[in-house]
Amino acid sequence: MSKASLLWLLFTSLLLLVSAPAFSEENNNPDAGLVPSSLDLEQLTELRCGVKKSPEGIGITSSENGASGLGLQRLARKEEDEFEDIPLEPLEFDEEEEIPGIYDPLEPLNRFFFHFNDKLYFWVLKPVSQGYGKVVPKPVRTRVKNFFINLASPIRIVNCLLQGKFESACNELVRTIVNTTVGALGLEDVAREKLDIPPQHEDLGQTLGKLGLGPGIFINWPFFGPSSLRDSVGMLGDYFLDPINYLVPSTKENLAVKGYRTVNKTSLTIGEYEKFKKAALDPYVSMRDAYYQYRREQIKK
Amino acid sequence: MYLGRWSDDTWVKVRIRKGERAMKRTFLLASLLILYFTVLGYGISMAGAPMDQIRETTDKIIAIVTDPALKGEQYKEQRRRLIRQVVDERFDWYEMAKRCLGRHWRKRTEEERAEFINLFEELLERTYLDRVEGYSGEKVLYLAEKVRGRHALVKVKILTKEGTEIPVIYRLKKNGERWMVYDIVIEGVSLVNNYRKQFSSILSRSSFQELLEKIRQKIKDKERQNEGGKGE
Repeated sequence: MSKASLLWLLFTSLLLLVSAPAFSEENNNPDAGLVPSSLDLEQLTELRCGVKKSPEGIGITSSENGASGLGLQRLARKEEDEFEDIPLEPLEFDEEEEIPGIYDPLEPLNRFFFHFNDKLYFWVLKPVSQGYGKVVPKPVRTRVKNFFINLASPIRIVNCLLQGKFESACNELVRTIVNTTVGALGLEDVAREKLDIPPQHEDLGQTLGKLGLGPGIFINWPFFGPSSLRDSVGMLGDYFLDPINYLVPSTKENLAVKGYRTVNKTSLTIGEYEKFKKAALDPYVSMRDAYYQYRREQIKK
Repeated sequence: MYLGRWSDDTWVKVRIRKGERAMKRTFLLASLLILYFTVLGYGISMAGAPMDQIRETTDKIIAIVTDPALKGEQYKEQRRRLIRQVVDERFDWYEMAKRCLGRHWRKRTEEERAEFINLFEELLERTYLDRVEGYSGEKVLYLAEKVRGRHALVKVKILTKEGTEIPVIYRLKKNGERWMVYDIVIEGVSLVNNYRKQFSSILSRSSFQELLEKIRQKIKDKERQNEGGKGE
């Protein structure tokens, strides 16, 4: 038996073990976590890196008062830094104003792969994910998703460091340690739920963008979907930071694991692509522009 | 909450949470303003705050979709009518449509514009209604607002049950006493810019009438899907 399949076996048995209640209770209590409640996690908040937040989080209200005060304070601190940069302009309607976009010389090819991916979704990915979602309860699927997010943390840590975001890198490190240990190999996102440290979504494409590299041209990959020249280079670099590729080196098994990851992730987001398509008059152009705008925003952060 | 500097070009910045020093410095101003609003009454303070108006609209919509008396398929039409009413009071469809068309706006006659606005509104409302109807206890956090003359930004964050945060920015324009939304920016993606790219791409290949036909088709598809209860 190869090392990869051994690891896989270990992972699945662990998953089954910890998810057994989820199967038996028929989703009655999806919040029932893996973490024993006796563990006083409040002590762990000391682990958070960076500026200690001030005790008074004022001025922020939510429609309901359910959100934790901790979260609100963190949001407030972040918002204050970010809101300053958002321009009010253009104030008045300027019909000649050119809104920025992404250069797309490969449009015919990109459109071809857009249709390919579209069919791939509706004919293969969606039915498979729906079937999988019927068999596996949602709490289990969320844990699987958490596991893969936690596994990919080297990508986020390294890119935080490359962008000089040391506080984020430190927080990401804390996340990884806490989630891998207390969170049972990352199945539970304890760091987000109890310590209020969300994952820092950083990748090499963003790092390159931070360095001033533009997106270049738009590339819509088969299977992977929308990307740009810069972000494709980034994806390639991130490949070497992704532990999956070392844990499961054989191509066949590697693809199987990644395929499973995709099916699991899709099963949690069914309906989103459909909604996107419903709103669009030219879904390809809409996706291209949304990708461009979204990445530009991510890089700004 | 602290009311910031008020310079010549009537920059009014309302910022949330600021250092204590600033708090003290502006405490007097803030209390004077509160007094001012209290004396002048409720109406004026409402008109002055884009964030309050966004909050008011959001709360109204949440109240409709969570109203137990309106639950269920048989009240769908009524529910949707109520939501549309609230949305119409807050959205500036004219401004939104104009900005989405960009340079193609000027070339159109008044009738063409009117028809375009109607169709565009219909399309957006249907899309919007679908999303609103899927409301499942998300929380809205009102974070900041920025006002300059007749224009304003309001920043909110939607907190889903799973703990995901979705940053949303409303762009507003003052119309009389009301602040009207003309663009929504979700996770950095501006709705107006996205449609503008689509329209300009379509209009580079086909006529304006064909574009209108395309929107009509889209609305019809949606009607069919809603009746059939099933998307693609």
